[in-house]
Amino acid sequence: MIKVLFFARLQEELGKDNMELDTAGWTIDELKNWLEAEYNLDGVTQTMTAVNEEFTDGSHILASGDTVAFIPPVSGG
Amino acid sequence: MENRYAKQELFSPIGREGQNLLQTKHILIMGAGALGSANAEMLVRAGIGKVTIIDRDIVESSNLHRQQLYTEKEAEKHTPKAIAAKERLQQINQDTKIDAFVLDADAANLEKLIRNVNLIIDGTDNFDIRFILNDLSQKHQIPWIFGASAGSFGMTYTFIPGKTPCLHCLFPSIPGIGMSCDSSGIIGPAIQMTASYQTTEAMKWLTENEEALRTSLLFFDIWHGQQQTIGMNKGKNKECLSCGNNRAYPYLNQSETAHIDVLCGRDTVQIRPSSKKKYDFSHIAKHLQSHGNVKSNNYVLTCLYRDYRIAVFHDGRVLIHGTKKKDEAKSIYHEFFAETNLNLVTKE
Repeated sequence: MIKVLFFARLQEELGKDNMELDTAGWTIDELKNWLEAEYNLDGVTQTMTAVNEEFTDGSHILASGDTVAFIPPVSGG
Repeated sequence: MENRYAKQELFSPIGREGQNLLQTKHILIMGAGALGSANAEMLVRAGIGKVTIIDRDIVESSNLHRQQLYTEKEAEKHTPKAIAAKERLQQINQDTKIDAFVLDADAANLEKLIRNVNLIIDGTDNFDIRFILNDLSQKHQIPWIFGASAGSFGMTYTFIPGKTPCLHCLFPSIPGIGMSCDSSGIIGPAIQMTASYQTTEAMKWLTENEEALRTSLLFFDIWHGQQQTIGMNKGKNKECLSCGNNRAYPYLNQSETAHIDVLCGRDTVQIRPSSKKKYDFSHIAKHLQSHGNVKSNNYVLTCLYRDYRIAVFHDGRVLIHGTKKKDEAKSIYHEFFAETNLNLVTKE
């Protein structure tokens, strides 16, 4: 299983802060596209992604036991 | 009597030596809003040698809950933030040299202002300007400390050219949807926390404690007491056009176009004409007087018109307060500043 953590705006849109998904073997981009379609999760494709607390690009292939975090960019100041 | 920095020197990673270094250093603070104010005050109190501070905006009462350098008096007078910031900072520490610029920053004017700067602090509220800062940082090998805050969230990272990934590595293009003060609101403590992390990193760099710099990106939610760090070991992109092997600094080469921006956190739209103007306020005042009450100081002319307040700067920038809608602002602008009318009020 893959544990997916959602932060900030994504938490509000989803109504929860994490999910367990059976998506080992998927790339990060595939996971983002699926989440966007499945949950109508606006802007998830533009979020920063960490796998096991390390920055990761969209081509990374997920392995069972990974923890994925999606962090939306903050722009204000 | 103890010297004013005695307690800071007693902190061993800084010491007398670090304090002496700090007093020779020059930082550029881009933006004098909430993050810019908080960083500037801490660093000026800490005894930094020189601060260049840049902001395009004027003080509004809706800034006062979080922008610590400003008072009700300045909100009433619509003082430009850079000017109000300099005045307050100079009261705090007269030994710091402060250069303040009321300026809508772009690649060209910023490039002139970053000469001899040791570090850039991000006090901006949008990614367009951050991508320009990032390219300048890479081109001139000056570190910058990214900071952003909205709602109860904050995000910060220390970009060191040649060492860390750059902003363009982390975001292949400018993020279209960022959480801003408009979409999420903002509370003061989120600002203070973000700025505290930024200033701490700045102190490390400026006192030459480079090995102590944080290497991860930090994201937190101060309301819920959550924090997430993101390691950057895999962040660097060798093909990056800003910091990779074949650099082009793409954000420094954008053509001049008219820009319309919604300003963060309030009912204001900024319009910047495609070319710089040199407005003579007495001409503009005559032009606007028949439409509403006109006031001006050395920096800005304001006119109350219907439910809007129009603020005009010498360089041609216009702020339309009272709307968040670009189209609405544009039509107000064109009532007074249509290209044909511009000639009437332009003094070359």
